[in-house]
Order: sequence, then C-alpha cells, then structure tokens
Amino acid sequence: MVSTVMKTDTGVTMRSNPLRTYKGISIGFGLLACLLVLGALLVPGFVSSQNARSILLLAAFLGLASIGQTLCALVGALDLSTPYIIGGANILLPSLMVAGLPAPLAMLLVLLLGALVGATNGALSFKLQGQALIMSLGVGFAAVGAVQIYTSLGSQFGGTVFAPVPEWLRNISAFNGKFFGVPIPPVIIIWAVVAIALGWLMHNTWFGRSIYAIGGSRTAAARLGISEFKVWTVIHSVSGAMSAITGMLLLGFSGGGFVGVGDPYLFTTVAAVVIGGTSLLGGAGGYGATVLGVLVLTVLTSLLVGLGLSFPAQQAVVGLLIVPMVAIYARSPHIRNQI
Amino acid sequence: MSSNAIRQLARDRSLFVPAGLFIVLLAAVATRGHGLFTMNGIAGAILVATPLILTALAITPIVMAGRGAVDLSVGPLMGFINVTLITWLVGNGVTNPVAVIGWAIGLGAAFQLIQALVIIYVRVAPIIVTLSGFLVLSGINLMVMSRPGGVAPDWMLSWGAGTSVFSPVLFLLLVAYVVWAGLRRTMFYRNLRMTGSDERMAYTSGVPVDTVRIIAHVVGGAFTGLAALSYTSLISSGDPTQGSTYTLQAVTALVLGGASLSGGRGGALGSTLGAINMFLISYLLSTFNFGTVSGFVTQMAFGLILVGSLLVNVFVICRRAAA
Repeated sequence: MVSTVMKTDTGVTMRSNPLRTYKGISIGFGLLACLLVLGALLVPGFVSSQNARSILLLAAFLGLASIGQTLCALVGALDLSTPYIIGGANILLPSLMVAGLPAPLAMLLVLLLGALVGATNGALSFKLQGQALIMSLGVGFAAVGAVQIYTSLGSQFGGTVFAPVPEWLRNISAFNGKFFGVPIPPVIIIWAVVAIALGWLMHNTWFGRSIYAIGGSRTAAARLGISEFKVWTVIHSVSGAMSAITGMLLLGFSGGGFVGVGDPYLFTTVAAVVIGGTSLLGGAGGYGATVLGVLVLTVLTSLLVGLGLSFPAQQAVVGLLIVPMVAIYARSPHIRNQI
Repeated sequence: MSSNAIRQLARDRSLFVPAGLFIVLLAAVATRGHGLFTMNGIAGAILVATPLILTALAITPIVMAGRGAVDLSVGPLMGFINVTLITWLVGNGVTNPVAVIGWAIGLGAAFQLIQALVIIYVRVAPIIVTLSGFLVLSGINLMVMSRPGGVAPDWMLSWGAGTSVFSPVLFLLLVAYVVWAGLRRTMFYRNLRMTGSDERMAYTSGVPVDTVRIIAHVVGGAFTGLAALSYTSLISSGDPTQGSTYTLQAVTALVLGGASLSGGRGGALGSTLGAINMFLISYLLSTFNFGTVSGFVTQMAFGLILVGSLLVNVFVICRRAAA
C-alpha cells in the first residue's frame, strides 16, 4: 500500500522530486529492517508473536493519533492540540458514562466534541498560517482545561476519573483482545482498515487531491478553485476527531481515565510524520509514509526497552534521530538559491 | 529609560494590546486587594516572575530572526542548566559564584550555538531542530536527576528569600536589560530585524544573515543561563520536570507581548509585558477560590488568552497592512 500511495502522490506535487520521496521511503524501510535485525540479534525474545502483537498494538494507537498530524503536515501545518484532545477524551468518556449516558451515545458525543474543537482550531488558525501551531496549542489548553473542570466538579480527584469500562471497549484495545476469536486486538484491525481507506481517499477523491494541491502551491490551488479555508478547517476537524477516538480507545487499554495519557503523543506524532518522510513544509508524503514512520518509531522504542533503556533515555535517542532523518530528505535550499 | 519606553510604546502599535492588558490586570489585582503592592509582595512577585520573564526574553531574539524559529528547547535548556548546576557542580563541591554563573551562561550560549550551527549548515527547519533539542534535553534532564532534589549553593539560598525588592534576582533581570539595550544600539539589532522580516531581501542587501542568526541564538542562550540562575534561586534546588511548562509559558508570554512568530517584530519590552501579564493572570486567578479545579481554570485561562492574543495580533497586522 505504501508504494502505491507514494507513486501517485508524487506525480501531482510539482516542487517535490520523486527521487527524493523514494529516497525517504527506502530509507524508512531500510531503517525498519535494520532495527528488526538488531532487535533479533540483541534482545532475546524480540522475534515472537507476543512481541509483534505488543508492537502492533502500540503502533495502532500512535498510528491513529498520527492521522491528523499527517494531514496537517501535508498543508504545512502542525496540530499540537492532539495530546490535549486525547487526554480530554480519555477522561470525558468515563465521566459521561458515570453521569448515566449509554456508552455508544457518550462515544458519539466525545467524537463530535473532538471534531468541533478541531474545526474551531482550524477556523481560528487559518489566518495565522506560520503561527498556527501555537494557536492549536492554545485551543488544546483551553479544551483540556474545560474538560477537566467539568469532570472534577463534585469529585476530589482532579485529572483522574474512575469508572467501569465496558467489556467490549476493553476487548478492542487490550493486549489479549480477540477479533472474532482470533487473538489479535481489534484496534490493530481498525487501524489497518482506516489506513487503507485513508490511502484510497487521499489519491482518489477531489478532497484528497486538494490537500496535495494546497501543500504544493497555494496560488495554483486557489486558481483551480480549491477553497483553502475549507480544506484547512476540515483537516483540523478530522485531526480533532481522530485524537478523540485515540483517547477513547486508550481508555480501553488502560482501564481508567487519566488526562496525562496523551502527553507522549505531542512529539511522537510529529516524529512519526517526520521519520516517515512527509515534509513538514507540505505537499509531499502521505499516510503510507507515516505508517512506516510509526512502525520505525514503535520498533525502535521496543528495541530500546529491550536493551533496558529508561523512558528518558528513549526520549533522548528519538530526539537525536529526528534531525538526521529530516536532513536526509527535507533540507531547505541555501538562501542564495532561494532568490 | 522610561521616556524611551513611552516613545517606543507610542510608535509601535503592537505594544498597545499588552500594555492595555497590563493596566487592566493591575487594576483588577488592586481591587482584589491581596497585598501585591507591599514591599514583600513586590519582592515575591519579582522572584516568581523573573524566570518566566528571562525565558521570554531568551526566545525573543531567536524568534525575531525569522524562519518561524520558535525555540521550543528553551524550557528544557533552563532545566538542563539547573540540574547540571546542582548535580555536577554543587554535587562535586564546586560552589564558587564565578564558576556557577559562568557555567550557567556558558552552557546556555554553547547549546544555542550548536542549534544555530545545525540550523544554518544542516539546513533543517528551525522548529525541527528545537523540537529535537526539546526531546533530547528533556530526556537527559531526567537522566541527570531522576526526581526534584539537591540544594543550591549556600550563597544562593539568600537570593530566594524574597524579602527585599533589590535582590540579586532583580540584578539578573537588569543585566539582561542592559545587554539588550546595548544590543539595540548596534548594527546587529538592525540586521536582526531585517533578517527576520525578509531573509532573502536582507541577504541580497549584504546583511550577513548567518552571523546574525548565530548571535541571536547565543544571546538567547546567555539569557537562558540567567533564567536558569533565577529559577535555581527560586526553587533552591534542582527540578528536571518543569521544562515543557516553561517553554509553553515563554512562548505564550512572547505572543501576548505582541511579537510575531514569523519574525522581524518583537522586543524586550513586549516580552517583559507579556510575561508580567502571565504572572498577573495566575496571581489574579489564585485570589479566587476555585477549590480543586483552580489548576484547570488557570490552564484554560492561559489557553483562551493565548488564542485571544493571537487573534488580536492578526487583527492589528491586517489593519496595518490595509492602512
């Protein structure tokens, strides 16, 4: 799927050199292969169905959370509200269920609220462009603050919500979840279906093509009659909705609402997009590339955990990896060549 | 200095919003009447607000240099200086003030120099470089010191007492202003604004854009060193966990102060006003009794204020472009 998405994507973007994108993708595959070989050699039990399942499970959460980030990066934006919406959804859902709402209705409400916050974010940040990421930060702050105020009214546990999680939701995201009897957590299947659907939508629909057109050249997209504002807002609202879904699925994984659950996703989603090979300047890349980035990042984390590195050390290693990865395929030209 | 500030205020419309907000907040704090306007109140306020003011000042030249270079690493860098100061220097018996101050400023400047060189020669977008710096330093801070602890050098303990307005912490702040005022008189400042406004035009006009960027980062790094000193004296210990909070607050203060994150526009006065406004807002909110939700109310208020000030900034820019 990765290769088909990439093949057609690069045809439209004028600025991006197809060779460059292929370079990014092949480096991603190379890195993934290297990591797997290293893991097999260095960590006992790295090649096992247990470990594969846990890697895929963690990758599924990160992959779902990175959808919005990928779409935003394709038009040159970054959505930093992701962790806050994940955390907010993670505590809002149990709190709504405690209040007596049936689970499906509560989930629908959280999903809509996520989309609404995302749309607000998009509509407000459209004029700001370069400063849009700071706007998304502010919107995320405001949203999670409001959710926390709502959930902690009448409770003395700020930031943590205790509620019984429905068995089916637990099954979707738990490590030992079953998909029609097959021992694969259903969230992995959900991720695969969403990834394929998104890959198809991105290069077969007018809307999908518009995203690349805007990322490639705003002026050209405007001449084609593409409403930049509409695309921008819809993308941000998809991002908000996907973050809300991730937050709700994480509830099934952890079993209790905790607002800080989204915090790692602030930078891991950006890192997954960047490592995958989607340019943060917009126009080149795609969700297929991000899937690759998500897998690289998750396998790397699993390897580092297997080698006994603590979380801070993992963070430092991932941070050190970002600059060389971006330098491989997304260097900006020298100023004398920009005139 | 003050007449100069007023003239600057009258000339630069971007300072209207922070200055207006400052006056409103000051009036609101006065009506709540909770003793901010006593000697001890002011001394405490200076002590608490200085790390934020200095981090906001530290990212000011870097943001002004353009290319969307919001320095996300400023908070963790301050934390890094803080924890290394406590663990490596004081932990090994080095408490000489010259060594401690030199270490703080030198380390800040050195780290920012590395970031500037990576931005210029590896030619990766600044936001990616500082994001990477943020991740690396956040990780390393926790490796150097796994939980808040340690003690500041003996001579620094009295700094954090907060009993006198004219404390060494105020002196740190004044040093930063003197350095900034000195820089304003140099060619560098003019070049910095030109580079930030339009790097291509600056380059074709013969401005040494790379040198400008390096100096902007190094000055920012030195200010981060001062911020780390004031932070260390505020908490009298080491804390590896507060980095991301300070990054977010510093960026908010900068935007609140009317600086443009796309470069060219901004200054010490605006960033200071922004940081003081942030302090006044949290002070004002703390005078109300929100019970268990007070932390969330503050968080939501910061978010809404950030959104509001960004929108006002856009409005001001649009008006100016139309005029």
